[in-house]
Amino acid sequence: MFDPVLLELLWARLVSIVDEAAATLLRSSFSTVVRESHDFGCVLTDAQGRSVVQATDSVPSFLCTLPNTIRHFLQEFPPETLQPGDVLITNDIWMGTGHLPDISVAKPIFANGRLVGFAGSVAHSPDIGGRIRSAEARDIFEEGLQIPPMKAISAGVPDATLMRLLRRNTRVPDQVLGDLHAQFTALDLMERRLRDLLAEHGLDDLAALAGEIQARSEAATRAAFAAVPDGVYRAELLTDGLEEPLLLRLALTVAGDSITCDYAGSHAQVPRAINVCLAYTFAYTAFAVKAVLCPAVPNNEGAFAPLTVTAPLGSILNSSHPAAGGARALTGHFLPALVLSALADVLPDQVVAGVGSPLWCMGFSGFRRDGSPIANALFINGGYGASAGRDGTNVLSWPSNVSAASVETIEQSAPWHVRYRRLREGAGGAGTHRGGTGQETLYESRSDQPIAVTFLAERTQPGSAAPGLEGGMPGAPGAVLVNGLHVDPKRQHVVPPGGTVEMRTPGGGGHGLPERRDPALTAADQMDGIA
Amino acid sequence: MTAHYALAIDIGGTFTDLVLHDPATGRFAAHKELTTPQAPELGVLAGIRQLLGREGISPSAITRVVHATTLLTNALIERRGAATGLLTTAGFRDILEIGHERKYEIYDLFLPLPAPLVRRAHRLEAEERIGPQGQVEIALDEASVIAAADRLVAMGIASLAIGFLHAYANAAHEQRAAALIGIRHPDLHLSLSSEVSPQIREYDRLSTTVANAYVKPLAVTYLDRLARDIAALGIAAPLFLMLSNGGLTHVDEAKRVPVRLLESGPAAGALAAAVLGGRSGARDMLAFDMGGTTAKLAVVRDGAPRVAHRFEAARERRFTAGSGLPINISTVELIEIGAGGGSIASLDPLGLLKVGPRSAGSAPGPACYGRGGSEPTVTDANLAMGHLEAEGFAGGTMRLDVAATEAALAGLAQQAGMASDALAAGIQAVVNEAMAGAARVHLAEHGGEAAGLALLVTGGGGPLHGPDVARRLGLRRVICPPAAGVASALGLLLAPARVDEVATLACRLESLTGEALEARFRALEAEARRVIGETLGPDAPVRAERAADLRFLGQGHELVTAMPPGACDIAAIRAAFEAAYRAVFAGVPPVAAVEVMNIRVAVSAATGDGRLDPMIPSGAPTMPHGTRRLSIGEVPLYRRAALVEGQIITGPAVVEDGMSTLLVPPGALATQEANGNLVVELPA
Repeated sequence: MFDPVLLELLWARLVSIVDEAAATLLRSSFSTVVRESHDFGCVLTDAQGRSVVQATDSVPSFLCTLPNTIRHFLQEFPPETLQPGDVLITNDIWMGTGHLPDISVAKPIFANGRLVGFAGSVAHSPDIGGRIRSAEARDIFEEGLQIPPMKAISAGVPDATLMRLLRRNTRVPDQVLGDLHAQFTALDLMERRLRDLLAEHGLDDLAALAGEIQARSEAATRAAFAAVPDGVYRAELLTDGLEEPLLLRLALTVAGDSITCDYAGSHAQVPRAINVCLAYTFAYTAFAVKAVLCPAVPNNEGAFAPLTVTAPLGSILNSSHPAAGGARALTGHFLPALVLSALADVLPDQVVAGVGSPLWCMGFSGFRRDGSPIANALFINGGYGASAGRDGTNVLSWPSNVSAASVETIEQSAPWHVRYRRLREGAGGAGTHRGGTGQETLYESRSDQPIAVTFLAERTQPGSAAPGLEGGMPGAPGAVLVNGLHVDPKRQHVVPPGGTVEMRTPGGGGHGLPERRDPALTAADQMDGIA
Repeated sequence: MTAHYALAIDIGGTFTDLVLHDPATGRFAAHKELTTPQAPELGVLAGIRQLLGREGISPSAITRVVHATTLLTNALIERRGAATGLLTTAGFRDILEIGHERKYEIYDLFLPLPAPLVRRAHRLEAEERIGPQGQVEIALDEASVIAAADRLVAMGIASLAIGFLHAYANAAHEQRAAALIGIRHPDLHLSLSSEVSPQIREYDRLSTTVANAYVKPLAVTYLDRLARDIAALGIAAPLFLMLSNGGLTHVDEAKRVPVRLLESGPAAGALAAAVLGGRSGARDMLAFDMGGTTAKLAVVRDGAPRVAHRFEAARERRFTAGSGLPINISTVELIEIGAGGGSIASLDPLGLLKVGPRSAGSAPGPACYGRGGSEPTVTDANLAMGHLEAEGFAGGTMRLDVAATEAALAGLAQQAGMASDALAAGIQAVVNEAMAGAARVHLAEHGGEAAGLALLVTGGGGPLHGPDVARRLGLRRVICPPAAGVASALGLLLAPARVDEVATLACRLESLTGEALEARFRALEAEARRVIGETLGPDAPVRAERAADLRFLGQGHELVTAMPPGACDIAAIRAAFEAAYRAVFAGVPPVAAVEVMNIRVAVSAATGDGRLDPMIPSGAPTMPHGTRRLSIGEVPLYRRAALVEGQIITGPAVVEDGMSTLLVPPGALATQEANGNLVVELPA
C-alpha cells in the first residue's frame, strides 16, 4: 500500500507537523528550562495512544513518556467519553515523567466522525508549588500541587476551577498559565494539520500509516540489536547518594533481536527526592541504547518495542507512592553511563568513557537590593568522556541538553556577582584521549539579605568520579563550596550578604593508556594549560 | 550628457558575475567569469576588461562599483583567517570555549563541536570590571593590558579581539585598552566587542568579535588591493560593499567591521528577489533559489527581505542549526536546504526514498553528466521526465548522457520495487516536499503561514521545481524574473545604503520615559546617519526605522518589534508589542511587565531609482519553437527570449531560457510582462 515515495512524503509531513508545533511552543514559552534546554516534547499518536512521530529536538526525558501518559488517559477516559475540543491534563509522576513540574496534556483528534489519534505535549512548568527544587523533599506531598488525570478543557470550555487552583498554588501563576496556554496552542496546531493531511490524501484514519511507520522502525531497531552478540552484559556504579553512596546495578541481556535492561540489585527507594519512576528509567535507558546502537531510527512506538526495561517495584529506579522524585535527575542521569559501561565490554569503540554528568544546578531564593523577591535555577555542566577517536569535549551537557545562562544576564537580573567562570585545569581524566574538563564558577552575593541555595550536584566523591575506559584515568570529582568550605550539596544552605558559592563540575574519564597519547597533543595541552 | 554606468561584482564559489547597468535607460549587460579562489581580484579584473571591451564602454564612464563576496565566509569555513588573540576580563578567558554547553544532536555520542577560533594560550586577561549598569567596579589595570598585548604579539598574533564583560553598557575600558595597545603595536588589527556587537550575552558577543578579528586582516588586504586594481583600470568610482543585511556601505566601514560582510552574496540575491518581484506588484514573497547542491529560501514581507539579528557561521554540519559559531549581526534571513540538482536519491535503511543532502556536486556530478556518477540525482530525474533536454543543457555547452541516467534510475528502481518513471516522479515529489516542509516550519517559527505569498524563483532549479513547490504550499503565483542567472549581481545595483545600530537597555519598559527612550534612539540614528553620510554624502535623503527587542517579564526570547511612528510613547510601544506578539503567537500571555533588551535602528538611503529595461520585444505572440515529451504527453516548447510583451501561454508548456527551464503546469497561465517577469498563475 505504501511505496517508498508515498511513505516518505506522508512521514515527512507528519514530522513537519510536530516540528511546527514544537517551534510554536518553544517561541511562546515562559519557562527557562523549556526555552534554554528544550525541556518539552510534542508527539502525535494513533487512536490507541501509540506514538507515531515525536518532535526532532526534545530531550531524552520524554522518550516514550507521552504515549504512556495518553494510555493512562484512555483508561480514565475511554474513547466514547471524549469529544472534539477536549484537552486532558495530568502531572501525576507515575503516569507522566517522574516529577511534578512536567505537565502533560493531550488532545483527541477526530476526523470523519471518529477518533484517529492524539496530539500530546509535555513541558516543564516554571513552578508547581511545594519546596523549591531540592533533593530534600521526603515525600511527594512536599513537592507541590498534584493534578490527577482530568479534562483541562471540555469541548472547548476550559475548567475554571482547575485554572483557579493552579493560580493559587504556584509562585508565578501568570507564567504557569502562560506556558499551559502555549501547550494548548501547539495541540490545536497539530490537530488542524493532521486533519488537513488526512483529507488531502483521502485517508479515513491514521491506522494504516501509523502501523507502517511503527513496523518499519521496529524492524530497523531489531536489525541493530541482532548485530550485538547475545549475552548478559553487566555494569554497576556508586553515586554520591545521601549519607552513604547508592548502588545502581544493570544487567543488559541481548537475546536475538531483543534487549532487556534489568536494574535488580539497585538501592531501595529513599525518603528524599532522588527516586526515579519507571517511565523515567525507561526513557534514559532507551536514550543510551539508541545512541549506541541505532541513533538514526526515528522515535516512535515501534523503535522501542524491542527494548524491555525492568526494576523491582519500590527500588530507587521504580519508586512507588508516595516517594518523592523532584531531583530524579541525580539518579536517572547515571543510567546512560551504566548502559554505556555495560556495552563497553562488547562494543568498546562505540561508547565513550564516563561523563561528568548529571547536570548541575544551583537553585536560589532571596531578594534583590530593591527588596523584590527572586527565585531561579542556574544550570551548568561537567566534562564529556573521551572515546577511541577523540578527546572528550570540555564542558558539555549530557545526557540532558541544558545551556547555562550568560554571566551578564545573571548579573542583570539576580543579586549575584560572578567572580569567574573558567575551565578547571587538569580535571579531565588522562588517557590516549583525554576526558573533557569541567568548569569552576564562583558566585558572590550582592544581596543585603541571606539567600537560600540548593543544589543538584553529583560525582563529588572519589568513588563516584567519571570512570575512564580501556586504561584511561577517571575525571576529577566535582565540589560545592559555600564561603570557601566544602558542603553537602544535598542540603539547603544559606549564603549571607557578601558570601560566596563555588561550583566545580566533574571532569570526564579518559580513554586508552595515558602513555600512548600523541606527544603533539600533550604539547598542545601544556601550551594551553588545560591538562 | 555622457552616459555613466554602475558596475556590480558578485564573487561566488564557481563564477564571478558582473553586471553593467545604465541608470538612465535601465539597460544592463552581464558577464560570467570563472572565480579565481587564490586571488579573487584576478577574476574580477579579467571579467571587467572582458565586459567593458565587449560593450565598448570606457572605464572612466563607470561612476559606481558595488561588490559582494563569499571570501570571508570561506575563510571562516576553511579556518584560513589570521593568527588571532583575545583580551578579556580576568576570570573569563574560557567563555569563548565553554560556549552554550549544548549539543546540536542529542543521539550522536561522537559529536564534533566547532573549535574556538582562538586557542586557550592566545586568550589572555586584563584586570578590570564593569558592572551590569555600566558602573566601574574595578578600574582598568593598564599594566595588565600592556603585558597581555606584548605577550600576544610575541606569540605571533596579528589580530586582537578585545571583549570585556558588560562592555555593551560601558565601552570605556575597551576603548582605553585599544588606545594603549594601538600606541605600542600600531600594526596589530583591533576589534572591540562594544563596536562589533554591543549586545548583552557575553559568549555571543565574544564569538562575533573574535570572528571579526579573525577575518579582518584578510578583508583589509583584499579590499585595499581590489580598490587599487580597479582604480588602475581607470575606474575612478568609489567602491561600495554589500552587507549581510542587504544594505551597502563604503569600503572603510567594511574594513572596520568585516564580519558584517559574511552573508553579502545571499543577501544580494534576496534583495534582488524582493525588487524584481515588486515589479509585478508582489509585496509578500517567498524567494526560492535552487542551484546544484542547495536550495535557499528567504521571506520577503512588505517588499523587503526579512532581517534576522543572529546567524551562524562555519557550521560543523551545514544544514544543522546550532552546529556553527554564533554571529550576532543583522543579516537577511535565509534557510538553506540540502536539495539541489546534484542531490542524490537513495533508499534509507527503513526503505524510504530520501533525496539529499548528499550531493554528487560537479564532480562526478549527476549520472547524466557522464563523468562517472552512478547514483540517480534530481537532475537525472528531470532529464528522465523530459523537463530537461539532452542537447542544449547549460546554454548548449553540455550534452547530457540519457543512457547513464536510465541506468542509474533503473538500479534504484529495482531496489525500490518501482518502475523507473514512477521513481523519477517520486524523486521530484520528495525533493519538492522537503523544500515545502522546510518553508512551512520556517514560516511557523515566525508565526506566519504560506497562504497569500508569491513564489519568486531563481537559480537553475528554481523555475523547474518552483511551480510544484508552490502547489504544495498552497501558493497561486510563481514569478520568474529575467536574467535569473545574475540576479544577485543585479541586486547589488538595486540595494540601498544601509547602516544598522543596536544598543542594549535590559530594563523594564515601564521604567523608561518616552523622552529618555527617544534620546537613546536619536543617538543611534545620529551614528548611523554619520556612516551613511560618509557613503553617499551628507545630504542624502535617508529613511530611519526603529525597532526594539521586547519580551514579557520572565521570557528568554525577545520579539523584534517595529516601533510605532512618531516620538517614543511608552504606551504605544507596549500596544505595538502586544499586537506583534498576537500576530506571531495568536494570543498574549497574562503578564503585566514588559522588558526591553535591545533597541535597534536601521537607516537607509536609496542609491538609484532602480530602473531596469529587460528589452522585451512587442508585436504578435510568437509560436512554440517545438514540442517536448513529458509524462503527460507532448507539450509546446517556447524560447523565453522570443516571448513578446503581454504574451500568455496556457499550460501545459515548457519555456526555456538558456540557463534554466520553466514548467508551466496544466491549467496554469504564464504571462510575459513588460517588466521582464514571466508570471505563472496556478489553477486553484
